[in-house]
Amino acid sequence: METFLNMISAALIAIFTQNSIFERALGVNVLMYASRRKEHMFGFAAAITYTTTLSSAIIWIFDVLLGQNDSYRIIMPLMYVLVIAVVYIGTLALIWALLPKVFRSLKKYVHLSVFNCSVIGALFLNSQQGGDLLSYIGYGLGTGIGFLLAAYLLYTAAGRLNSPLVPAAFRGFPGMLVYVGVLSLAFYAFTGYTTSAI
Amino acid sequence: MELRTNLKDGLLKQNMVFMSGLLIAPVIACTTTLDKSLAVSFVFSFVSLLTILLCRAIPRTIVYTIRVTLYTVAAAVFYIPAIILAESLFGREVINAAGIYLPILITNSLILSKTETRFFLERAGRMTADVVVFIIGFDISCTVTGILRELLASGKIGGAEIPVLFTVPAMETTFGGFLFVGIGAGLFRAIYNYRKAHAGAGEKQDSLAEYAEDMGEFLVGRHSKHEKEKIRIYKATAKKTKNVNELLDMEFLSNRDVLEAFEAIIAEGQEMTGQDGTGSAEAAEGSEAPEDNASDTETEVSGEDGNVS
Repeated sequence: METFLNMISAALIAIFTQNSIFERALGVNVLMYASRRKEHMFGFAAAITYTTTLSSAIIWIFDVLLGQNDSYRIIMPLMYVLVIAVVYIGTLALIWALLPKVFRSLKKYVHLSVFNCSVIGALFLNSQQGGDLLSYIGYGLGTGIGFLLAAYLLYTAAGRLNSPLVPAAFRGFPGMLVYVGVLSLAFYAFTGYTTSAI
Repeated sequence: MELRTNLKDGLLKQNMVFMSGLLIAPVIACTTTLDKSLAVSFVFSFVSLLTILLCRAIPRTIVYTIRVTLYTVAAAVFYIPAIILAESLFGREVINAAGIYLPILITNSLILSKTETRFFLERAGRMTADVVVFIIGFDISCTVTGILRELLASGKIGGAEIPVLFTVPAMETTFGGFLFVGIGAGLFRAIYNYRKAHAGAGEKQDSLAEYAEDMGEFLVGRHSKHEKEKIRIYKATAKKTKNVNELLDMEFLSNRDVLEAFEAIIAEGQEMTGQDGTGSAEAAEGSEAPEDNASDTETEVSGEDGNVS
């Protein structure tokens, strides 16, 4: 029961207090791309959730086995990239063999949702966070859900941020960054600031 | 002339931080001091340059799924000497302070996207110059952001006290970074648009549309024998915001997918110019062309790059 609660707790931390977008700015360019269309938004969030969750479970083994070694922090990125690559190629090969039509629609964009700083950053944060296997899985799951939350919040505002009412120079990407910045300020409160501290 | 175009693209028109936003996570969340911004710039430059030069040798016959994986693995390998060198140059403390924002540079868009849409379409010599200019463009943006944020947040530059009237401690936070880069990007574009309008360019145009146009023009120039007609049709199409966004989306696709999407936009542009009645004769002429152009393009792509994804 306790390990399950740890998993839920890790997921909630990843969604709110350590949201990969609002707290860490990881995968912002992918977020801007994904939030333009509803189907992209869900597709990217699903791919990111799947990759971070599965990869988190695998990197837990490496972290447990090699975590004490000082040189591990240097080869860590290579190890993590190899894990992501195995998950990516293995999954695509499976889909290609079983669902060729789905594969054709996925292959165009799936690399973008797998090889981005949101996914690899989540693995590093997971490693920093530590914990048992279920906590790793929970954090990976929470990262994907957190991405979906961020993408949805940006999707709802995308039309206004691209409207002609916004000055041309701020239309699109700069306006979106300012908007995400304001949301990030709101999410900052989840880290536990109180009025007395201010 | 080519070098001048490269310089303008990498430093200004397609600046990776303030114009296209292709690599902004480390700039927003990590470059809060000069030291950290220099460390980010160093690791990014080292990893990106060597990875792109090496990955050019990867045969284009390998499917994109595998190719993009190899790019990332190569970047992760180059990260090892990069981080060892960075530690000796900047000290372990700065590297630890930069945290996860150094290793995530191995999945940067210059390696994963710009290679497909630009660098690997160029000759080796020009590509090298182009990559260096794009890297310098990022480094300058990153370092200037680090200097200004450190100054605003703590009244210091590189740890040295600078007399300032006030400080904005929020500049050290992630939301401060979002606001700084967002406002910075808006001002960068506004200044660029203003300068262009006053340089006698003739037409006043949004820099985003111009960026998209350039990218389209570049791709057409590399892939088609009928480039002039395609560029003309493309320019007519790119003025529609929807298509500008679609074209910018292509930054993230493989070479082959970019071409397919580009052909679709051109076909749409031919319909559009025909409907508008602008240049209808040319458009009518052009309306016969898509299939011919498409087949030419396909042939040329297979011949040049052998790119099959």
